[in-house]
Amino acid sequence: MASCKATDAVYHVEPPLAARKLRELFYCAHMMHSHIAHFYALAAPDFVLGPTSNPAERNILGVVAKVGLPIASEVIKHRAYAQDIQATIGGKATHPVCGVPGGMSKVITEEERKGFEEKAKSCVEFAQFSLKLFSDVVLSNKEYMSLITGNIYTMKSYYMGLVDANNKVNFYDGDIRVMDEEGKEVAKFKPAQYLDYISEHAEPWSYLKFPFLKKVGWKGFVEGKDSGIYRVAPLARLNVADGMATPLAQAEYEKMFSTFGARPIHSTMAFHWARLIELLYASERLLELSQDKEITSPIIRTIPSATPDEGVGVVEAPRGTLIHHYQTDANGIIKKANLIVATCQNYAAMNMSIKKVAQGIIKKGTEVTEGVLNMVEMAFRAYDPCIGCATHALVGQAPLEVTIYDSQGEVIQKIERY
Amino acid sequence: MKILVLGLGNPILSDDCVGLRVTQIIQELVKQPEVTILESSVAGLDFIDLLTGYDKAILIDAIQTGDGKVGQIYRSSLGDLAATRHSCTPHDINLATAIKLGNRLNLPLPRDIVIFAIEVKDVNTLSEKCTKEVEQAIPLCVDMVIAELNSSDQN
Repeated sequence: MASCKATDAVYHVEPPLAARKLRELFYCAHMMHSHIAHFYALAAPDFVLGPTSNPAERNILGVVAKVGLPIASEVIKHRAYAQDIQATIGGKATHPVCGVPGGMSKVITEEERKGFEEKAKSCVEFAQFSLKLFSDVVLSNKEYMSLITGNIYTMKSYYMGLVDANNKVNFYDGDIRVMDEEGKEVAKFKPAQYLDYISEHAEPWSYLKFPFLKKVGWKGFVEGKDSGIYRVAPLARLNVADGMATPLAQAEYEKMFSTFGARPIHSTMAFHWARLIELLYASERLLELSQDKEITSPIIRTIPSATPDEGVGVVEAPRGTLIHHYQTDANGIIKKANLIVATCQNYAAMNMSIKKVAQGIIKKGTEVTEGVLNMVEMAFRAYDPCIGCATHALVGQAPLEVTIYDSQGEVIQKIERY
Repeated sequence: MKILVLGLGNPILSDDCVGLRVTQIIQELVKQPEVTILESSVAGLDFIDLLTGYDKAILIDAIQTGDGKVGQIYRSSLGDLAATRHSCTPHDINLATAIKLGNRLNLPLPRDIVIFAIEVKDVNTLSEKCTKEVEQAIPLCVDMVIAELNSSDQN
């Protein structure tokens, strides 16, 4: 969708309102499928089974065994709903082919619209159930809450996300808002201005670069107001916004901030909670859009007439703010492209989070068990990272290396898992 | 018997498209109503959606075993396959886990899953073409898949 918006900008064309609504509807379904998969398949095992439980059981199959088949069926069903909606609008759920400069390539029928509406209603209920599950399993567990609110999983940073005209969370469109660690807005800008606000730092040990706030500067891998490192994705989006644009999600948003008693929330584990609130918002917004008869309008494209040259498109990917910037020749062939991918935006924070947890739980005499390694990995997993996209390359498993030094700086143990 | 022939891969990463290429040829050669032929670039939980409703599935994909000969074709079942690079992403589950989950949920997944994996050389270069040795393996793999379909007819 960032690519669609970037090509709109390249051709200086604004899609008709029906097309923008259709794109946003598609995009809400995209968020839903991704957030459902992450929470139930990747995050839930740590909480439902326990962070240090047997790894052979600490997976989606273990979750199914614990929560029961009916719930697992609901997970598969609602994720499939989200995929179906995307496939209907986009041609394919993954790698959709519906976006064209100036709009969309295919109209939606009334029958399809009704199908979306029915699925969306079910998804709203499922999202509410998911939040209840999180509340019962995580928020009611003192040990987990201590972990979540404790120092080792906390990181103070700036936050970035898209907001609409009312400063509410919006996945598809809006301005980019940045907030400091005390909750003060420090920037709000149009996507096309991103290079005035974001720079990238490179390290020799990684293909992936480290975006940072230009006006604050790169100060290394450090927390605090003087460090230009910022975070994106669900927790960041909720932190920078003044609320959610739908009523049920808004109530959950208020509950989360009330629980922590602070805004912004700096707990990395809160990304999971925020993700489920976003699932609810996406479901409600999808329902709103599916009930809007305009989405069946045949007017879904404005044919471009300007000569293409350059454009920027920004959306909120499930994993954070996603920027596509293209420069083309007069025929629209891309000559230069800059992509700042969501996971890339969180990369500095991920590294710092992992290190902080490792240093926080591995002390002199600690036996570094698989469970301990998993607790380190949980700091990474909260960001729902996609390293393949971020490095524009492919990866297999999530590799992990922990090096333990004594007080003289000598390596006393190295644990590798790759 | 309802059979799914599913080519997997990325169409723009050189040899990673080989599963899709094999499937495209089979699409031209096989016109049996009980055989569905699809191409896909998905992984993880999406496998459950794709495989539901079939009695048998034949999957075709690229593989890099580390010590195999490029162009070599392996026939295996799901149980033979360890976690692979392309049926596993950092933000989803792998093929084996997806199938296990689907079975646990009593979904109508294929009883018989056969995998044809072609040893490939390059899955990192942006290209829509396979390397030479992998290109040469394509017709061989097509023959193997058609033989598999024919043997299914007789069962």
